[in-house]
Amino acid sequence: MNNSAVVNPVPSDAVVVDGVSMVFNEGQQNQVEALGSIDLVIRPGDFVSLIGPSGCGKSTLLRLIANLLDPTAGSVLVNGKSASQARVEQDYGMAFQQSGLFEWRNVQKNIELPLELKGWSKARRRERSAEMLELVKLSDFAAHMPWQLSGGMQQRVAIARALAAHPPLLLMDEPFGALDEMTREHMQAELLRICAAAETTVVFVTHSIPEAVYLSNRVVVMSPRPGRITEIIDVDLGDDRDEDSREDDEFYARITDVREALRGADRVAGARGIEDR
Amino acid sequence: MIRRGLRRAALFIVALALVAVTWELYVAFGPEDGGEVLGMRILPRASERAMPHTWEMGQRLFDPEVRGQDRPIWLAVTGYAWYTFRMALVGFLLGCTFGIALAVLMSRFRVVERGLLPYVVASQTVPLIALAPQVAALGGNWDLPKWTWVAALGAFLAFFPVSVATLKGLSSTSAASLELMDSYAASWWTTLTKLRFPAAMPYIIPGMKLGATAAVIGVIVSEVSTGVRGVGFASLTYAQKATSDPAQVYTAVFGAALLGLAMFGLVVGFELLVMRNRPAEGSS
Repeated sequence: MNNSAVVNPVPSDAVVVDGVSMVFNEGQQNQVEALGSIDLVIRPGDFVSLIGPSGCGKSTLLRLIANLLDPTAGSVLVNGKSASQARVEQDYGMAFQQSGLFEWRNVQKNIELPLELKGWSKARRRERSAEMLELVKLSDFAAHMPWQLSGGMQQRVAIARALAAHPPLLLMDEPFGALDEMTREHMQAELLRICAAAETTVVFVTHSIPEAVYLSNRVVVMSPRPGRITEIIDVDLGDDRDEDSREDDEFYARITDVREALRGADRVAGARGIEDR
Repeated sequence: MIRRGLRRAALFIVALALVAVTWELYVAFGPEDGGEVLGMRILPRASERAMPHTWEMGQRLFDPEVRGQDRPIWLAVTGYAWYTFRMALVGFLLGCTFGIALAVLMSRFRVVERGLLPYVVASQTVPLIALAPQVAALGGNWDLPKWTWVAALGAFLAFFPVSVATLKGLSSTSAASLELMDSYAASWWTTLTKLRFPAAMPYIIPGMKLGATAAVIGVIVSEVSTGVRGVGFASLTYAQKATSDPAQVYTAVFGAALLGLAMFGLVVGFELLVMRNRPAEGSS
């Protein structure tokens, strides 16, 4: 276990969150202190999960890294640049709980959207989308419309879209939250394979403990009101984790660690909303 | 698909036949001099002069417009309707362009929406029949052909439903999709063309359907008060001869109905084209 959040950030770090706090509706009656003084360093190649009860600000933290929100205090560096510059340069890809595919575009055109916005030529887009389709094993579905696909397939398209421009960082906000358990476990394994192939760093928001432990090499446990990091738990399941890793002693041990860390956070704030499955 | 089309066509014919049968039943059994309901004279007269038989209307189509002419009246009416159709089409396209542009402007700047929307609504309460001669008089000053002003009045009615529907559509883009475009640092214009506009199509098209029929009404009413000789003008002239030739006015009514259907059909065709790859309504 590792409680010290900031360990000498260096420019090559994927994400550096430095003393960030976030207050919504500051100075008004409905003021909400969403995040209080967060420090977090994410190294290249890390798979970091943010876990915590509803309202702990894990999605807010993700949106601060994505520069979809501006912090009230502190700074966020992505890829050694300011978060806003990183956003403009499409240094990260993003996937949400709703796959958010455009229903008027077929699978291939959906994947090509970020490339289109970058002004890539048609031929180059075709080449890249074919590569991404192969990576997510959907080559036969290029011409399908999103609504013709299952939920799991839609999420794979969304992941392919997020990674199409080969960003060094992938930000995911409960991407498998709407999937059934079987599909979900399958998608987790797929995600590990895809991210290893694409060599991306991942920040992954979830409220499922097994999901966080299975996927991550570091699990960031957060507590609510205001959101804080209570503990960071290292997971050592190795780089070649597979379905068998779910039976591993290390897997169970870390699940227990995360659960206890969450209980600790719970005692602080009386929180709810964590899945034990 | 084809079977559904056939069924629809059959239903249309059945509905038409039902209307004709109802008409004939009323002519046969309705009060000759009209009637009262709760003391108010609302039942129409069932005399042959007021309500000619449906077959007389049908026959009338093949007789000339004025006695002695060779050309059957259906050809003349089709000519009028075609002229009106072109004006209505121009009006509809103008109205769509203006209506969509206005909606984009209103969705972009809340100030514009708050400032302009009341006037947009108020514009629709001005009686067209009062406005048309004024507009036509203005048209005289600018030396434009009269039909352009009739088309403009069609646009005046058509833009409203299109604009309101587009405004609603543009503001109902999903938050997640907007966030996605935001994460690409996409500009306002790019977000409009790649996301907001295509996402608004299911709202815009019903607005266009209302707009298409509104354009037809606008043009027909304006013809009457500007003297442009389309199907609206023809209805008026035929109506003046209703006592001696009661079936004639209905040939113009058929022409106008056909024209409205054609305009509506155009929008339906556009819908089929644009929405061909979208999930069927109710699914997804």
